[in-house]
Amino acid sequence: MKWTSIRFLVVLSLSVLLPQVVAAHGGVVEEDDLCVIKVSYLRAHFKVYQPRVSGHEQFCEDLPIASESVFVMEYLHDSLATMPIDFRIIRDVTGKGRFARMEDIEKIDDLDSATVFYQAATIEQDVFTVIHDFADEGDFIGIVSATQPDTKKVYAAVFPFEVGFTGFGYWPLFVAALIVLQLQYLLMSGRFKRWFSRQRSAVLAALCGCFVLLAPVDTIVAEEAELRVTYSTPSGPLEINRIHSWVLHVESNEGLPVENAQISVEGGMPEHDHGLPTRPRVTEELGGGDYRLEGMRFHMRGYWEIVVTVVTDRGSTVIIIPLQL
Amino acid sequence: MSIRPLLFVGIVVAVMVVFAACQSRDAKTADWTEQEIAVLRSLSLDSLQALPPDPSNAVADDVPARRFGERLFFEPRLSVNNGISCATCHQPIRYFSDGLPRGQAIGTSERNTPSIIGTAYSPWMYWDGRRDSQWSQALSPLEDPNEQASNRIRIVRQIANDPSYREQYEALFGTLPAIDDRERFPDIAGAAVGEEWRAAWSSMTEEDRRAVNRAFSNIGKAIAAFERSIMPSVSRFDKYVAGLSDNDPAAATLLTTDEIFGLRLFIGKANCTQCHNGPLLTNHEFHNTGVLSSPGELPDIGRAAGVREVIKNPFNCGGHYSDDPERRCSELEFVRTGPELIGAVRTPSLRNVEFTAPYMHKGQIATLAEVLLHYNEAPDSMIGHNEAKPLDLSGRELRQLEAFLRTLGGQADSYQSESM
Repeated sequence: MKWTSIRFLVVLSLSVLLPQVVAAHGGVVEEDDLCVIKVSYLRAHFKVYQPRVSGHEQFCEDLPIASESVFVMEYLHDSLATMPIDFRIIRDVTGKGRFARMEDIEKIDDLDSATVFYQAATIEQDVFTVIHDFADEGDFIGIVSATQPDTKKVYAAVFPFEVGFTGFGYWPLFVAALIVLQLQYLLMSGRFKRWFSRQRSAVLAALCGCFVLLAPVDTIVAEEAELRVTYSTPSGPLEINRIHSWVLHVESNEGLPVENAQISVEGGMPEHDHGLPTRPRVTEELGGGDYRLEGMRFHMRGYWEIVVTVVTDRGSTVIIIPLQL
Repeated sequence: MSIRPLLFVGIVVAVMVVFAACQSRDAKTADWTEQEIAVLRSLSLDSLQALPPDPSNAVADDVPARRFGERLFFEPRLSVNNGISCATCHQPIRYFSDGLPRGQAIGTSERNTPSIIGTAYSPWMYWDGRRDSQWSQALSPLEDPNEQASNRIRIVRQIANDPSYREQYEALFGTLPAIDDRERFPDIAGAAVGEEWRAAWSSMTEEDRRAVNRAFSNIGKAIAAFERSIMPSVSRFDKYVAGLSDNDPAAATLLTTDEIFGLRLFIGKANCTQCHNGPLLTNHEFHNTGVLSSPGELPDIGRAAGVREVIKNPFNCGGHYSDDPERRCSELEFVRTGPELIGAVRTPSLRNVEFTAPYMHKGQIATLAEVLLHYNEAPDSMIGHNEAKPLDLSGRELRQLEAFLRTLGGQADSYQSESM
């Protein structure tokens, strides 16, 4: 009787002290080959590395051996970058294994003694990472909670995982069944046949060389634009690794200067999947359709595209300037 | 039965033809196109332009300042234990680096010690670019608890109390502020910048803090005047390019066949010049190349954090202590921020690369051969996105590339010493 009332009091005080955990059904799932942690509706790309033993190999949840492990969450939802996030790993004392949920965690009397790793809440603007060196193999549960700074609501994800994971359980059977189903679907729907004939014609085209010769050259012309943008570089010819200015000249198709336009500039190397190293800006309108663009710098030779967006009262036009450096 | 000898002869002839083809390919290694020679020239030291002025540092090109800075650079008393100078980690004999994974001073530095050679050309300092001038960079190790672990009040006092330093300082920057009053300018026993320091510093008046900061920044500007003179010296590669440009037949013998093949890969298939371009073989930019984290540590956030730090640094180009009244700070003003900088670090110069092992921002990779293997594989990055793509080079090609990298060494301590 006495024991029960003490426990009742503890639970009651805990529930008053701890902020309410809302939407506790977060966890780690695989989506399109990507391992995703759902902290309630807040999603992040989730991966674990054991760099000392398996280099760059990524794991989604289960880890092959007890070793130094780096947990990484790359935010897919920007607001995680502004929320204090804490990270806890406990030994699985719930007895629920893979099916452990937040409710099971809340029932644990002494969370601290089950905890093998805890990082207090911190705000990480770029990417959330923690490191823990597992001393033993076994079953563990990860608990990630993120607190909404204004409402103080706590969002949580719970993910049971195994360290020293060797078996595959029922996975191979499941995968085999999926493959059979997919093959059956492809054969029955005729997609496979269509895919095969497409491949064959592509191969034939490539073989006779016509494919390459007939392919259109990918030139960028702003033909449909109502504006024409040209540039000049007052500091001399373009060179790499030096910050410099441009003068953009904007005129209509009839050759009349366009004034009072709002101009923004972006750019990058489409073949290398990156942008300009700086964030250039139009800083001054020089008159006669000329605008000073400052902060231009190129850090690689090769093919660049500078994307100029011109907004006038007649609308917005995007013009791409191709550049071979 | 009679077909066998024919087959044998056929195979022998085929082998000879292939061998001859390889031989003639070897002989043709030095046949560069005009366009290729232009690329080679762009990488040669002869293309290095005059050092642009640093308007934020009024004494940048001043000879007495360089002389004063050189003394400060080698002065161990500027550290808390009187034993660590800039040159402890930036050792002239080791190309202003230290041969260690990370700098060892009062403690262990956060990252690998980069060379100073040619950094006067870089708009950004440190692996993460958290400083934007040599002078603002020079101030940080003085107060870093793991490096010189001193503090600015103590350092300004040391200069003031040493008649010879005081004279050099005052000839350049005018009278030192009077900071004898220990009430106004507290002595911090723990020295290094920490809790105690911050409490003492914030108890001072704004005016007194500015006076100390001004003198402290001047000390950095003198060190920078010296560091500006630390330039790369001519390598075998530069001599080869000079010979090519002059049509000097002797030039071809300056590099071996393997080195020339390596050079072809360097400017071609291996994509090295995407980042290692220009005569300093760096674009001074920040890239994520998927290097594995250091043991026991989280992956390095790199530039994403460095750019936030440089923007708020009081000694940056736009700050109160810049000597440029117009605050011409294009790099800072148009700096790029954003998630693509996660895990990105500054491209190091490849000049003298043979002598500056270990490599990468935490000294994670011990040898050049392993660095090349890393770029050949270009694995996914632990955080952010690896910009490099797998190269698919053969073992032989990797060895050739490495052979070429070993042609980039110059003299170790090439700087203009003003001391006798």
